[in-house]
Amino acid sequence: MSEQIQQCPVSHTDYRSTTAPAGHYDLLDREREASRYHFSDTTERGFWMLTRYDDVLKGFQNPDTFTNDVTSALNPERGIDLLPQQLGGEEHARLRRVVNPYFSPAAVRRMEPFATARCVELIEELRPLGRCDFVAEFAIRYPTDVFLDLLGLPTSDGAFFVPWVEDVFGGIFTGDAERARSASANITDYFDARVRERRRNPLDPAVDLVSRLVQARRGADEEPLTHDEILTVCLTLTMAGLDTTRSALGYMFWHLARHDDDRATLIGDPDAVPAAVEEFIRLYPLVIQAGREVSRPVELDGLRLDAGEVVWLGIGSANRDPRKFPEPGTFRLGRKGVNQHLGFGAGPHRCLGMHLARVELAIVLREWHRRIPHYRIASDAPLVERGSQLTLMSLPLEWDA
Amino acid sequence: MTARLRLDAARCTGHGRCYTVAPDLLSDDEEGFVEQRGTDLPVPGPLLGQAADAESACPEMAITLLDAAPAPTTTDGEP
Ligand code: HEM
Ligand code: SF4
Repeated sequence: MSEQIQQCPVSHTDYRSTTAPAGHYDLLDREREASRYHFSDTTERGFWMLTRYDDVLKGFQNPDTFTNDVTSALNPERGIDLLPQQLGGEEHARLRRVVNPYFSPAAVRRMEPFATARCVELIEELRPLGRCDFVAEFAIRYPTDVFLDLLGLPTSDGAFFVPWVEDVFGGIFTGDAERARSASANITDYFDARVRERRRNPLDPAVDLVSRLVQARRGADEEPLTHDEILTVCLTLTMAGLDTTRSALGYMFWHLARHDDDRATLIGDPDAVPAAVEEFIRLYPLVIQAGREVSRPVELDGLRLDAGEVVWLGIGSANRDPRKFPEPGTFRLGRKGVNQHLGFGAGPHRCLGMHLARVELAIVLREWHRRIPHYRIASDAPLVERGSQLTLMSLPLEWDA
Repeated sequence: MTARLRLDAARCTGHGRCYTVAPDLLSDDEEGFVEQRGTDLPVPGPLLGQAADAESACPEMAITLLDAAPAPTTTDGEP
């Protein structure tokens, strides 16, 4: 067991519980300011929480000490494989080199026209209604369609794809392993058929990710990826890319529906949109933590950790650390160093989809406000924020159609 | 002395924030890394502001602005 060199409080805060919107940030703020480190006893293995920006960044940048044998402190026995997440070292770097080009800014620019057209289509569907549940009727449909298109798959498949994704996440975050397993089996079967089809009829691997995965060599040994590994990559992308983007959209619109001045800024100055996206990701980090496993005894400033222990890299605490970001709870464009937020992680595992996510979010901010500049939260019913990986469960909006 | 922008290839992981805020100095490669990583890039006077923004935008601390005196002002002038 690790030794507490300084006094280190035990945290009983269960970050898997639901709260009111942004409620988890209040809990995180309180803990960070109470103590630099905590030990949480809310899971079977427990975990050491790093809460300050500098500490969290160091954790991300030292992958040999803080390994991805664990990727979530809340869920250390992950139960399903994740690629490239669970790899480390050269093996991880090699697979990232295979997939990076499909998620680079250049690749994202290629899909921008489709994403814009699909976004406009969905908004135009909703506009005459004068109201919607933004989360269910827009925020999950749009990234799913864009994602399918990016993989060269028909967007009409979104109709059955979206419920599967919901079930996987619903299952994981409510501890219903069976529901998660059966939904992820559906997704895997779906990709299984698509990958087999690409083996028979490969497309241009320069633009088609699945064809490229089929042809990719793992490295020095020139071994191809196994069929199962390819399916795992596809499932991982699905898991990592859809719930996150939906969540980010939910927070942006929850914020903008309640802050007329910030909305007016974006309506008046569409060029401010990319900076706004970045500031939203800082202010509402939905992945509030990344987990890591300690590979060797290590001493941080005032905390000694043993091999095999679980560490919580507190993204949600770091992004709102007043030592790094003045007035951290305020949405502010033009912050110096705002882009240094850790909402997409850092180090070798930095988010593969960050360039895609940024562009997707920017498109929505521009196109929505061009068409529906003014809207408000429609009901007085309390909104709910899911724990673990944060998201608003619903966001009823209304506007004058 | 000419200011230079040092781009540490070992630290860069491809966040793409530097070339977004300094488009006249930096560009992206195939994988999303900064193309010019591993070099000390000379920075012409008019681009000092962009260079300073790039330095303060990189979350990996992969960018250092060298020999830039007096300190350039960045876009918002916060401490
Ligand atoms: C606003 C949206 C998003 C946020 C906030 C987000 C956040 C993150 C964070 C914090 C990590 C680091 C996890 C760690 O270090 O353990 C990560 C990794 C990852 N993300 Fe994202 N993400 C978003 C969107 C996406 C999208 C759209 C995709 C793909 C379609 C994606 C794919 C991935 C993958 C594959 C990894 C693992 C990378 C690795 O381990 O090498 N993400 N993301
Ligand atoms: S911001 Fe930093 S990590 Fe990102 S591309 Fe530029 S140098 Fe690399």
